[in-house]
Amino acid sequence: MTSLKAHELLTPPCRLIDQTDLPRVGFRGAHSAEYLTARGFTLPDAPNRATAQADGSWVARLSQNEYLLLGSPADQGQRIADEEARWELDHRAHYLLPRQDSHACVLLSGTVIAQVMAKLCGVDLSFPAFKPGAVAQTAAARINVIVIHSGSVEAPAFHILWDRASKDYFDGALRDALEEFGGVGLADRA
Amino acid sequence: MKIMMCPLNGPRNISEFTYGGEFKPMPDPVNCSDAEWADYVFNTDNLAGVVREWWMHTPSSYWFLAERHTVTDEILRTFDPKELFTHRVDFNTPQEIAG
Repeated sequence: MTSLKAHELLTPPCRLIDQTDLPRVGFRGAHSAEYLTARGFTLPDAPNRATAQADGSWVARLSQNEYLLLGSPADQGQRIADEEARWELDHRAHYLLPRQDSHACVLLSGTVIAQVMAKLCGVDLSFPAFKPGAVAQTAAARINVIVIHSGSVEAPAFHILWDRASKDYFDGALRDALEEFGGVGLADRA
Repeated sequence: MKIMMCPLNGPRNISEFTYGGEFKPMPDPVNCSDAEWADYVFNTDNLAGVVREWWMHTPSSYWFLAERHTVTDEILRTFDPKELFTHRVDFNTPQEIAG
């Protein structure tokens, strides 16, 4: 007989995966959309929206002309690392924003993550206020964060990015909030 | 908590915003006098009433304009600077002389 306790351990209500070491990069400029489209990325059609790519990468649109690219665990972010490496300044308004060392990144998933985040953040991140594919640039635990809804209605998941110099601080705040909901934190990437 | 409407991000706590000073038209930096430039850089009107101000939504580094009543602190309207800056501004600065 399967004990309920063992089952809970197998499928924890929420999971925290550190993706800080996965490559990510930003681009900004009036020609960035054209460039990224030509490079095979599907871009969100409005600011504060995010789109999943076929290979598991994500593209989040942070403003009219700024894009944040998150690497996929499937290729260890190689595609995004290559995009950063091949960028060159030319006549086009398309500028590189290095994001690997500036931000920490985690993937928080599970059915209770909206409640977990409600302990840290003033913005309503529950469904339907915050739908899959939405991006919130706000403050959580008193520091600036970017929250990207990269899951689905049935299986919510948030990519959370914040200042890497505050990694330990926000990690602690998140783990403290998770404790109440029986979350399991994994130190390695997905 | 007081709520401000960010034109890019929607309603947010006022603690997420940074004040950027009064909105003033910039004099031509090449041809204006030193007194005009100093007035633009250092002096403020400090009106009691509805003023137009620069504000920034800090988590997204997004600058926008707000119309606020400085007596009641009521924010009447926030909007993207594109409403006022409709074309590109080019600075034809004269050649800087080194040393």
